[in-house]
Amino acid sequence: MMSSSSQSYVNAAKHGQNISVQRTKILLLGTRRSGKTSIQQVLFHHLPAKQTFYLEPTMRVAKHEFDTVIPLEIWDCPGNITVDSLGASLADFATIIFVIDIRDLYQQPVSKLVEFIVAACQVNPDINFEVFVHKAEKLQEDDKIENFRQIHERVVDRLADESPEYEQVPLNFHLTSVYDHSLQEAFSRVLHKLIDSLPYLEDLLNVFCLNTSSPKAFLFDTASKLYLATDSSPVDQATHNLCCDYLQMLTSFGPLYKSNAEGDIRAHLFSPTPTPPPTATPSPPSFSTSPSSTLKACVQSPPHTPSNLPLDARNAKPLFYPSAATSLSPSHPGTTLSYHLVTPHLALLALLPTTIYDMRRGLVEWNVVWFREGVREIWEVEKERSNAEGV
Amino acid sequence: MGASGSGKTSMRSMIFSNNPASLTSRLGATIDVEQNHVRFLGDLILNLWDCGGQDAFMDSYLTTQRPTIFSHVGVMIYVFDVETREMNKDLEYYRDCLEGLTQFSKEANVFLLVHKMDLVREGERAIVFQRKVAELEKASGETAVKVYGTSIFDESLYKAWSSIVNTLIPNARNLSKHLRIFAEACSATEVVLFERTTFLVIATSSPADSSESFSSDPVAVHALDPKRYERTSELIKSFKQSCSRLREEFNSLELELAEFTAVLDEMTKNTYVLVVVHNPVIETAAIKMNIQMARRKFEELQGDSLVS
Repeated sequence: MMSSSSQSYVNAAKHGQNISVQRTKILLLGTRRSGKTSIQQVLFHHLPAKQTFYLEPTMRVAKHEFDTVIPLEIWDCPGNITVDSLGASLADFATIIFVIDIRDLYQQPVSKLVEFIVAACQVNPDINFEVFVHKAEKLQEDDKIENFRQIHERVVDRLADESPEYEQVPLNFHLTSVYDHSLQEAFSRVLHKLIDSLPYLEDLLNVFCLNTSSPKAFLFDTASKLYLATDSSPVDQATHNLCCDYLQMLTSFGPLYKSNAEGDIRAHLFSPTPTPPPTATPSPPSFSTSPSSTLKACVQSPPHTPSNLPLDARNAKPLFYPSAATSLSPSHPGTTLSYHLVTPHLALLALLPTTIYDMRRGLVEWNVVWFREGVREIWEVEKERSNAEGV
Repeated sequence: MGASGSGKTSMRSMIFSNNPASLTSRLGATIDVEQNHVRFLGDLILNLWDCGGQDAFMDSYLTTQRPTIFSHVGVMIYVFDVETREMNKDLEYYRDCLEGLTQFSKEANVFLLVHKMDLVREGERAIVFQRKVAELEKASGETAVKVYGTSIFDESLYKAWSSIVNTLIPNARNLSKHLRIFAEACSATEVVLFERTTFLVIATSSPADSSESFSSDPVAVHALDPKRYERTSELIKSFKQSCSRLREEFNSLELELAEFTAVLDEMTKNTYVLVVVHNPVIETAAIKMNIQMARRKFEELQGDSLVS
C-alpha cells in the first residue's frame, strides 16, 4: 500500500514544511461570487444552504484543515487571485477545484481556468483538475444540461487553442448545488482520487456486499457526509441522496436524547478508559494483531455458528460501536438501511434486503466486524504515514 | 384565521400534506374558506377551516357569515405575521374574531401563532417574541390564550401544532399514564407517542407539566433537551420525505448510538412509538418485542377514546 505513494505526497515532501501532519492540499478557485466559500462552509462547517446567501466575500486566502482518512487542507481563495498572488507554488497542490457559476458569462471564468491549467501543468503534471459547474439549482433541468455542456465545450476548445498538448489534460466536470447532495457526491469523487488506499477500501466493500447480498454499500465520513469509498456497482443518485439524508438524521438524533445526568451509566460502561465519549476513543494500539486472530477463529469455526463471533469480537475489545437500522417498505422484499460506525469518524452505510437483515443479522454483523477491522488497519497506516511525512 | 399572506395555508400544507417548506412559496392565496377533513388518529376527524385572509373575506366572516364561521369551534388558531406592517388592523380583526367566538362557542381554545419567526435575526428572536406576547395578551383581554412563535423552517411549528392537537384528544392523560407503565416495563427513560401521518406528538410518558415531576422521574434525572419532541417530529418527517422520493416508505428505525438506544416503530395502525433507553444492557430486540406485546392494549385504549 505504501508503494503507491502518490505524486502529491512526493511533491509535498519536496517542499517539506515544518508541520506535524502533512496535509494533502486542495485549491479552491473561481471568479468572485461563484460559490467557493459556500461550498467549503456547507461541506465542512454544516452551514445550512439557505444561509450561504449571507456569506461575506473572501478577501484573502483562507486555509481550512479537515481530517478524514487522509488529512486535508483546503485553500479558499478570493475571486481575483492569480497564479502569482497565490503565495505558494501550484506544485504543492494535489487537486485544483475550479468553481463556475452555471449562469456566468462563460468568457471570464474560462480564461481564468485555462490560465491556471497552463501554469499548473508546467510545474505539476500530475495535478487533478476538477470543474464544479455550480449553482445548478438556479436553472431548469434542460437549461442546466445545455449550460453544463457549453461550459465543458468552451473550456476544452480554449485549451486546444492554447496548445494541442493541453488537449490531453484530464478535466473532470461536475454539476453541483449546495441545495441537494450533488455537491457531496462531486466532492466525494474529488476525494477518491486523493486516497491512495481507495482500492483496498473498495475491495473491502465489495466483499461485504457479496457476503451480505447488499446491493449497495458506502463508507461515509460522518462529519462531512462525503463518501470515501463504495462498492463497484454504479452509484445511483437517489440512493446516495437517501444515504446522505439518513446520515444527517442520525447525527442530529444523537444529541437530542443525550443524557445530561451526572455519571451516566452508559459513559461508564462503554469507555473503561478515562476518555469520556466512546466514539472519540482511538483504537487500541494492539490492533494490528487482532484481525489475524479473528481470521483464524473464523476459518476454524464451523459454518453454522459464526453468528456468535461478533459478540466475541466485541468482548475482546471494550469499545462500543454505535449502529442503527431503518426498514423501508413496500419495495420487495423490503430494504433495510443499516449504519455501523467503524472508526470515530467513518461509518458503513449499506442497503440490505430486510429478509436478510432480520433473519441473518448475526452474519451481517459478523461481516461488519470484518469490514471494520480492515478499515481500521488502513486508517492506522494512513495516519502513521501522514505523521511520518510531516516531521 | 389571520391576515392575508401570514402563512396559514403554508402551515397546513406542511403539517397535514407532508409538503416540504421549500414548496410553500408556490401556494396561491386562499379564496373564502377552504374546508378540510383531516383524519387524525384514524377515526378522529379534524375539520380544518382555512380562512382566506384578505380584508373582503374577513369583513364577511365577521358580518354575514358570522354564525357559520364561529359556531362549533373547537380551536381557533390565529396567525400573525411577525413582520407585519399593519399590526393594528390585525389586532382589530383579531378582537372581532374573539368576540364572535365568545358569542357562538364559548369553550373554544385559542392559539396565537407569531409566524415567520425565521425572518427575525437569531439574536433578537427572544426579545421580539416577548414583546409580541405582551401585546397579544393585552389584546385578548379576559380570554386565555396560548402564544407560540413559529416558523416553517424549523421545529417550532411542530411544537405549536402538537399542543394544539393535544387539546383535541380526549384521553391524552390516560394514554400518558399507560405510556408510563409501558416505559417502566421497557426500562425506558422516555416513551413518546406520535401520530402516524403528521408525526405530531400525542402523548409522552413524562408528566406534562413540570410541577408534577419528582426527583425519581427518569427524564428529570437525565435532563434531556427540552426541544427533543418537536425536533424528532421534524427529523423523521424530513426523512420520510427523502424516502418517498425513492418511492419507499419509512417503516421503522432502531438506533444504538453512543448516547442512547432507541426504537421507533409502529404502535397502533395510526401511531408510532419512540422508546428511548439509556440503560446500555437493554437490546433493541427486547424493546421491539415489548412494543409488539403492547400493541393490543394501545389499540383498545385508542378505541375507547373515540367511543367516549
